[in-house]
Amino acid sequence: MKSRKPNIIHFNFASISVHSTLMLVSLIAIFPVFWMVLTSLKPPGESFSTISSMFTRNPTISNYLSVSNLVPIYRNFFNSVFVSFFGTIATVFFCSLAGFSFAKFDFPGRNALFMVLLATMIIPPEASVIPVFIIMRNLGWINNLLSLIVPRAATAVGIFYMRQYINDFPDELMEQARIDGCNNFKIYWRILIPVIIPAISAWASLALVNRWNDFFWPLIFMRSREMFTLMVSISLLPVSEGLSTPWPVIMAGSSIAVLPLVIMYIVLSRFHLRELTSGAVKG
Amino acid sequence: MANQFANTVARIKKYWSCYVFIAPFFLLFFVFQFFPILWSFWLSFRKWNGLGPAEFVGLQNYIHLLTDRMFLNALGNTAIYWASGILIMIPIALVIAGLLNYRMLFGRNFYKTITFLPYITATVAVGLIFGIMFDYNSGLINQIIARFGGDPLRWLNSTKYSKIPVISLFIWRLTPWFTMILYTGLLNIPLELYEAATIDGANILQKFRKITVPSLSHILLFCFITVSVESWKIFSEPYILTRGGPGSSSLSIFQYLYVNGFTIFKLGYASAIGYVLTFILFAVSAMQFRLMNKWVKN
Repeated sequence: MKSRKPNIIHFNFASISVHSTLMLVSLIAIFPVFWMVLTSLKPPGESFSTISSMFTRNPTISNYLSVSNLVPIYRNFFNSVFVSFFGTIATVFFCSLAGFSFAKFDFPGRNALFMVLLATMIIPPEASVIPVFIIMRNLGWINNLLSLIVPRAATAVGIFYMRQYINDFPDELMEQARIDGCNNFKIYWRILIPVIIPAISAWASLALVNRWNDFFWPLIFMRSREMFTLMVSISLLPVSEGLSTPWPVIMAGSSIAVLPLVIMYIVLSRFHLRELTSGAVKG
Repeated sequence: MANQFANTVARIKKYWSCYVFIAPFFLLFFVFQFFPILWSFWLSFRKWNGLGPAEFVGLQNYIHLLTDRMFLNALGNTAIYWASGILIMIPIALVIAGLLNYRMLFGRNFYKTITFLPYITATVAVGLIFGIMFDYNSGLINQIIARFGGDPLRWLNSTKYSKIPVISLFIWRLTPWFTMILYTGLLNIPLELYEAATIDGANILQKFRKITVPSLSHILLFCFITVSVESWKIFSEPYILTRGGPGSSSLSIFQYLYVNGFTIFKLGYASAIGYVLTFILFAVSAMQFRLMNKWVKN
């Protein structure tokens, strides 16, 4: 395959239209987030009525403090971090372990079980939310962060993706380890994990984004202000001062919810999501 | 025969750890998905408010759905969200993926990073931003319209326009995901194919139709099915922006399920809605598989 790196910049019609369209797309992609941060820094009472007043001369963090007076935002932040962290660790561990099993061992019933696993992907779990809620209530997990971590600790998509990736893992390495006296779990833990780090970080990134941004499940399972995750908490900001919460305060709440992932995304250079889609495409 | 059986048992014993490795998934699936689906089916033929015994009502829930204006509105709205996903989102994603794959692109990594950014953001948070931008009195959108001499529109509280902010948010946040998948697909098409076509005198549209689309057919099918699932179960976008209103002009099916299940506690009715939703998703996926098969063959 030929290299796609440009060696010179071209100034023809095609090149200019491609670049300018992409600039426009980038602007649309980044503008709402940019505007949110600017608005959140506005002192109360400053006007919004003209586009030129987008920037403020007197940036303030007072809106962020107002958020903490309206909702228990520190606690909500902690809940989101807790669920995202343990949810991600759990899904990465269980999905890669099951993916390893499906990819590398010819155990009886393997293909049938894998077909069952694939078939489960087309059923949306949200459609039977009523019984799931009752089950959670019987388990005593309503208002308990476990209800947001456990049900998706092992997902069909994750196992499928991990299996695709682990298929390429050389059998010789496994044989070698077995001669050295490793059992299957030791092979997974000591030999396989270091080799599949790219797949693990890709799947972890996606799980992290999904857990952090999750709204529906915490809305249903969490029943008190202290147990809300960030997303549920900020969704109530517009009505928490009787429909008159100032916009900069709402935007400060949104910033607290959005910026942690955006900063991580930029610092960790695109979250290795490319690995993820190449896995999907290969399948 | 007996020998074969003994053999299988021996192999199961040999591979016991493999079953332990895959057990968590099947256990969780059974408890939190399979069992609820059966229970939901049972519930959909009953009337129940969550307390006391459930009363069997036969097909009444399903029959009621057929004449329930709220539900029919939600069905129509969700179909529009779905259509916008298929007809607007995927084409936009394909165009952006094509632009990102432009050979002479300068700053490719920068554009890839920025155009993917919306997917990282939370729908709820961006919903609040969009809500303010689409505000009637001093929202940014109406300000821009006013600057060009137009009349401000009631985006969020008119039955005519309320779906537009919902669709904008849906497309803004989810397009990058499909852009990324399609871009990866484009990378796998050898450039030599396009060069040969150029030598044969094909124009850009012919190249798109004869090389790009057929090479991407499987990935496009994957995108169509994913976007269908995402749009039929759309919830956060209308919930945050309009609460489904005004009236039920932007209500989605799943939102209506939520209202029935968790606000007015008609649990049997909510389960019936869930079953209709599941059925629609099956039908839509099956239809797309068939259409795509036909299309690939031609």
